[in-house]
Amino acid sequence: MTIQLEQLAKTYADSEVPVLTDVSVEVADNEFFVIVGPSGCGKSTLLRMIAGLTSISAGQLKINGVLANDLPPKARQLAMVFQSYALYPFLTVAANVGFGLKARHFSAPEIQQRVAHALKMVNLTELKDRKPKALSGGQRQRVALARAIASDAKICLMDEPLSNLDAQLRARMRLELKQLQQQLGLTVIYVTHDQVEAMTMADRVMILNEHQVQQIDTPINVYQNPKNEFVAQFFGTPQINLLTATVTGHQLQVTPDFNLAVTRPLPEGTALCVGIRPNQLQFKLTSRNANARIQTVAYLGDKLVATARLSDDQAVRLVSAETTTLAPGDLIAITGAQQVVLFDNATGKLITTEQEVAARATIAVG
Amino acid sequence: MQQSLSGKAKTRPLTPANVTVGRRRWSERGYALLFLGPSLALLAVFIFWPMLKTLYMSFFLTDKFGHITVFNGLGNYRSLLQDASYWASLGATLSYVAVVAVLTIVLGLILAVAAQQQLKGIGFFKTLFSSTMGISVSVAAIFWLFAFNPSVGVFAQLSQALHLPEINWLADPHFALLAIIITTVWMNLGFTFLILFGALQQVPRSLYDAADVAGVAKRTQFLKVTLPMISPTLFFVTTVTLIDAFKSFGLIDLMTAGGPSNATNLLVYRVYQDAFLNGSYAQASTESVVLTLLIAVVTLVQFKLFGKRVTY
Amino acid sequence: MAVKLETRLWWCWLSGLLLIVTLTFGLGTTAYGAGRTKIVFWHEMTGPAQAQLMTDAKAFNASQSKYEVVPEFEGSYNEAVQKILHTHGTSAAPALFQSMDVSTAQLYHANVATPVQKFIDADHYDVSQISSVARAFYSQNGKQISMPFNTSQPVLYYNASLLKRLGIKAPPVNPTYSDITRVAKAITAKSNGKVKGLTVEVYGWLFEQFMANGNTVMANQNNGRSGYPTTVDFTSTATQKAMAWIRENIQAKDFIDFGAGSQAESNEIAAFLAGKLGMFVQSSAYISQLLAGTKDQLGITYYPHADGTKANGVSIGGASLWIANSQPKNVQQGAWQFIKYVMTPQAQAAWQKATGYLALNQKSQHQAILKQLYAKQPVAKVPSEQLAAATANPANSGIFMEGLLQERTLTQTAMATIYNGGNITSALKTAETSMNQYLANNNRANQYTNH
Repeated sequence: MTIQLEQLAKTYADSEVPVLTDVSVEVADNEFFVIVGPSGCGKSTLLRMIAGLTSISAGQLKINGVLANDLPPKARQLAMVFQSYALYPFLTVAANVGFGLKARHFSAPEIQQRVAHALKMVNLTELKDRKPKALSGGQRQRVALARAIASDAKICLMDEPLSNLDAQLRARMRLELKQLQQQLGLTVIYVTHDQVEAMTMADRVMILNEHQVQQIDTPINVYQNPKNEFVAQFFGTPQINLLTATVTGHQLQVTPDFNLAVTRPLPEGTALCVGIRPNQLQFKLTSRNANARIQTVAYLGDKLVATARLSDDQAVRLVSAETTTLAPGDLIAITGAQQVVLFDNATGKLITTEQEVAARATIAVG
Repeated sequence: MQQSLSGKAKTRPLTPANVTVGRRRWSERGYALLFLGPSLALLAVFIFWPMLKTLYMSFFLTDKFGHITVFNGLGNYRSLLQDASYWASLGATLSYVAVVAVLTIVLGLILAVAAQQQLKGIGFFKTLFSSTMGISVSVAAIFWLFAFNPSVGVFAQLSQALHLPEINWLADPHFALLAIIITTVWMNLGFTFLILFGALQQVPRSLYDAADVAGVAKRTQFLKVTLPMISPTLFFVTTVTLIDAFKSFGLIDLMTAGGPSNATNLLVYRVYQDAFLNGSYAQASTESVVLTLLIAVVTLVQFKLFGKRVTY
Repeated sequence: MAVKLETRLWWCWLSGLLLIVTLTFGLGTTAYGAGRTKIVFWHEMTGPAQAQLMTDAKAFNASQSKYEVVPEFEGSYNEAVQKILHTHGTSAAPALFQSMDVSTAQLYHANVATPVQKFIDADHYDVSQISSVARAFYSQNGKQISMPFNTSQPVLYYNASLLKRLGIKAPPVNPTYSDITRVAKAITAKSNGKVKGLTVEVYGWLFEQFMANGNTVMANQNNGRSGYPTTVDFTSTATQKAMAWIRENIQAKDFIDFGAGSQAESNEIAAFLAGKLGMFVQSSAYISQLLAGTKDQLGITYYPHADGTKANGVSIGGASLWIANSQPKNVQQGAWQFIKYVMTPQAQAAWQKATGYLALNQKSQHQAILKQLYAKQPVAKVPSEQLAAATANPANSGIFMEGLLQERTLTQTAMATIYNGGNITSALKTAETSMNQYLANNNRANQYTNH
């Protein structure tokens, strides 16, 4: 099952400002497609438009090549999992899973068989006679999944299905969801505000911000080649460092004692935004030629995340595998970066990326 | 903790540890009594004692001061049950209560569902629907008395203009109870609407979304989603409406005073008449006892019948 | 901490209570302590009657320096009776109280008052100046129990202008049932059904008046004058005739039924004032309201009576003044002085003018205030003339029986049944049986036996 969005747009009747503009993508059969963005970016609206719960103002929606703009939800042959799970508190687990099958005119034995199968898939067979109130958050989530499974729809829309779970459970469910999707051959469109979810689960990610698509690509490409500042800082933990710098000769001067050598010629004197992932920032613990001072240090067991302050007070995040001696107040010298990403200061758009960039304390003459 | 409540603590050997626990237990009970005491005392003086006294009086005759004079055994009950007009009152009360409850709930629900629609100017209607909540019984009575006036009332003029048969709402025994029912339902509607509207608002949107996606028709959604979801509120409103209807007094006193031909002489009104107009306190006590039993039975039946269907 | 707070709250509560008690009693003693004897007077008057009563009390207090009458409003008649019975002998009881007509036997048997006869005799008060029918209502065994006060009689009102417009001859001043039927039918016919000819409220008092006017006692023992009534007669010729008369008008469709209770009265008056109703029987106390409410000429006749019989005259309604027997002599004396004051020709004339109740002092008719009223509205004289025309006898002196409210409820039920097509005799019989049962129970409960 494929889903094509062609320049979809949404403007609510009582407002002039569109909630979404110009969304175009083709979701392939059996793809796990994640829509990610901060709250209010319009991602849930987009999902509801696909589901048929919210009308489409402009553009075309095609499901399996068929124009679906005006089809009622039922005719779109899809399942949906809601953030709140949308379980009926007055029905048992089994009845919740079977809800809607009657409306689709399945026979009683068929319903029973589908429900049993779906519950088995999510390991809830024993709890089938309980009411949702008597279930834990994770179990409720599974019931919601089972309902989607039982519907036998090949498209499953998920609206932040894991956001009400605790961190550990969420991590486990990510894997299970992904497995389920592959096992059932589902085309999934998954909405989340959590970039980790997007990174770990998605075949492809669509990043939405300010009512517009920012980038659509695989997680690795999004991480490595963010199209703009927003995408760069939205992905990756800890967040990418975005520093302002001025082009001076062949170098980018971040501060007088922190310069990056770039190969690509840039117009002299322009101000740029330099993006460096914390884990790609190279530094030495030394007082000689030091250009930053450690401010905070957080140990995460296998690694250590620190913030440091440059001489012009800009903050820099860095990650070190060494669990040794880094302490607040220590002086460090930033020596280079495995990769820097340069953005236009005004538009935030990507200019170029450079690998293995060296940093110097002073501007090399000539 | 739990053991002492179930009384098992008493049979345990008195080890020093138990003694201190027991003491703490006692002082906790003392505190409980201290806090409950005032309300228990008030309940005893103003509820329990009068209830017992009423039951006691129902087996006697009372003089004009309300003093108990002659023991009458079950005589009061016997004459009550032999009184055809009492059975008429009972019948009127039951039909009144049933019709008022059904109409109040159904109309309240219809209004609440209507008010939920995203329509222009719905705010005005919400205010209008709930407005009867702020109207006192006497004001409502005056308003409806005028409306029911057979010569100058709205209904009379309407039926004259439309050449419909004229109905003498309050003086015709066939219509007086209906007139009272209309007025009561009208008065109840504000509160019921507000409560049910609130309950409807509480139903999560996502449940309807899920039903939409599953392909459940809107009408079926009302039966399969909305009604079960608001069933606790419906149950509450029904209970309140039933008990309220049994206790209806003000409108009757102001509009028909139990007439015509006892058509609106509901049980509570009868108690009032017998006690405070006729000075037959024993008779009134007997009627009160029967009425209390009746309300208890109806409430019990309601809990048995519908309590199970309520989903929380 | 908790204990301290609790104690403090207790102290607050106690001192608050103390303050309230002190204030109440303190004010009580200072306000009335000016050397006058305080006469607490419970009444149930509202509207213009209450205002006139206040005027009387004020004038009485100003007229002498020994007593101070303090009128206190006690709510409805029904509520007041219960209060009187239940406060009797306590410090909350009044010295003088007003109580409604139907409570007379009950209060008499309850022995809460000193018969005013005692004061009449001691004072050599000329009681003959007071209307005999009114006096008879509140007498037992030849003794005046209480003093008739606000008094009305039922009369028939008609819209004289309307009759003139429709070219219908007005009913005679002392009409028979057929006189009224003739007019009622004519009104409905000539107005093409737009105006209803007649209504008679479903009201036990009116039912009683049909019997009084037909010279028939309702209760045995001479309407209770010679003993405790044990049975009632609702099925007499007088009542059957009256009900048949109403039934005839209902069947002729010239009658409109407004039901029972205060709503029925306000509805019938609204209809009458709006020109939608030609005639109705009702208390004479409505006269001022009716005169003020319409530009149409008001007509009034005596209460209708059956054809071929002489009108016996109707009884009265209203309330009387009682002197409580639990008060000291000087207080009782003050109460009596006030009664005498309100019964003077001047006070009674002013009372009738202000309230529509009848002036009971026969000399009031010669007072300027009433002469002026009659000159302006000659019909206003009719109720007083009806009252003066009757001679008191057991049938028209009221029913001296406990449970008259029950009797009215029952007869009203019978009336409503009859108005709506029920069998006359069986409806009356049902009410009669219930009433007899009530009497038996009541006599047993109060241990009344006739010797």
